[in-house]
Amino acid sequence: MRRLFGNRSQIWIGIVLLMAFLIAFPFFATDYWMTLLILIFIFTVYASGWNLFSGLTGYTNFGLAWFIGVSGYVSSLLIADYNFFWLLAWPIGALFTSMISIGVGYILLRIKGVYFAISMVALAEGTRELFGTEYLSPITHGGKGVPFVAGIGLSTLYWAILLLAFLSLIVCYMIFSSKFGLRLLAIREDEQAAETLGIHTTRDKITTFVISAFLVGLAGAIHFTYQNYIDPSFAFSIHLTITPIVMTLFGGIGTVFGPVIGATLFTFIHEILWAEVTLLYMAFFGGILMALILFFPQGLLGWMKERGILPRIRKI
Amino acid sequence: MVNFIEILIRGLMLGSVYALVGMGLTLVWGVVGIVNIAHGEFVMLGAYFAFWAFSLLHLNPLFSVALSIPVFFFAGVVIHRRITERLVKEHELSALILTFGMSILIWNLAQFFWTNTYRSVSYLTGNFPFMGLVFGKGKTFSFGLAIAITAALFLFLKYSKWGKAIRATSQNSEVALVCGINTMKMRMLTFGMGIGLAGAAGAIVSLQWVIFPQMGGSYISKAFAIVVLGGLGNIQGALAGGLIIGMLEAIVTQYLSAKMAQIIPSVTILIILLLRPTGLFKK
Repeated sequence: MRRLFGNRSQIWIGIVLLMAFLIAFPFFATDYWMTLLILIFIFTVYASGWNLFSGLTGYTNFGLAWFIGVSGYVSSLLIADYNFFWLLAWPIGALFTSMISIGVGYILLRIKGVYFAISMVALAEGTRELFGTEYLSPITHGGKGVPFVAGIGLSTLYWAILLLAFLSLIVCYMIFSSKFGLRLLAIREDEQAAETLGIHTTRDKITTFVISAFLVGLAGAIHFTYQNYIDPSFAFSIHLTITPIVMTLFGGIGTVFGPVIGATLFTFIHEILWAEVTLLYMAFFGGILMALILFFPQGLLGWMKERGILPRIRKI
Repeated sequence: MVNFIEILIRGLMLGSVYALVGMGLTLVWGVVGIVNIAHGEFVMLGAYFAFWAFSLLHLNPLFSVALSIPVFFFAGVVIHRRITERLVKEHELSALILTFGMSILIWNLAQFFWTNTYRSVSYLTGNFPFMGLVFGKGKTFSFGLAIAITAALFLFLKYSKWGKAIRATSQNSEVALVCGINTMKMRMLTFGMGIGLAGAAGAIVSLQWVIFPQMGGSYISKAFAIVVLGGLGNIQGALAGGLIIGMLEAIVTQYLSAKMAQIIPSVTILIILLLRPTGLFKK
């Protein structure tokens, strides 16, 4: 780190300058760049939240869209049908999601490996279908979706999601460098051994799962307020699960800053591909996924740690 | 009552095709240890294979179903040798992401070249009455084909030398290796067979259901439910699971709604994984 960035105070100055630039950004930037940065921050939180749970515990969460969709639906319906103020609706959505996640985690985290991944997909897909049926449409408005206006300016939304992205990075940094994070790593390496050594594996797994659900849920609520629209196939879409995973893999799974780098780079790649090859966008996306797994599985930060460009510590 | 029996039989016919898809997935999962999310896309490719063979070359669908098995078998062997064999010893996430990427790559290319138009092979339309019940000709024909392929698969796995070697690899690949079985070759064969089954199932599907580039998604979720119902790597279990899913779908579609029927796979997976994670059937 020193070799690359100079000494510690220089790093701090860099961070402060970057934050000042990002905070002042709405005063001089165009709307296009603001929306791009909003998307980057939203996906930073998604990717960090996914990485917090799956990168540390080794349990593949293939149902991230469930957190996003549930929280998005609760907050959007509160804003649309009950005229809630957005600042109140967002935390309610996220809290609701993390509350249910306690139950879901308690039940599903007993299942290991691919089965856990599939049960999370089934949860997201099942909820998506359920929200679109005629039986729930008095509450969810069925498959046709809910358009709504939250009455929030683009700059305010930008600062809100910037704050959330920053906070979730701090949470990740603290957990990754704590003893709690070390216990989670022990679960990833060998759950049975960790349990024998006196780690309360169930409690630790559920705690991380719920923290991840809260952060991702909060970002999800902001995401749909930003879109001014929500419908089941969009809110629980498998792409909301896959994209953050790909970003995390791209930046480096199990690292603190990997998801941020991945989210930033990947959002730009997405923009370019979407503009240049709209019809074949998915094919390119799929090709990138395959190439990533085959040729670059450790991600950018993992690769830099392997090559000795960055020190091999948990805090990065 | 007659109506209910008709619904059950309709579900059974549907289920026989689902079972083909599910057996391919469970075979690959059990022997190779890879969860192939792109499995549904090979069903779609099989359906288009039969469709183009019928509309461009005017091939008899019976013949194109038979032809789809070797064609997709070799495609699967090549894919496994080039790509998936590298993931055998990796963390499960690698295979999940890679095959997901393969899945969207395939359907997007299919959409690009063949457009989103709904198509179907108009072969054997019409009904025939039997003992007071009415059956679609095409559906009965597909049911027969699916049963024939299933029987052939069972005979192959039970009595042939390769079939025995595949089952041995599935039970314990290390001991199989020590006993002189070339487990790498067996994994390759199995992957080919799984894709071959998916292709054949797709060719059968095209005979009476509509086909479109994104149809794979609904088949993969049913196939997952079937694998979970039958227990991982359990072929007989997958057959039973396929029939159960098919009948459940027919019943729910009839008495609730077609939208509710789409929830069946997810709900089945969750319930079975919670109550009996090893599947309903003993191996």
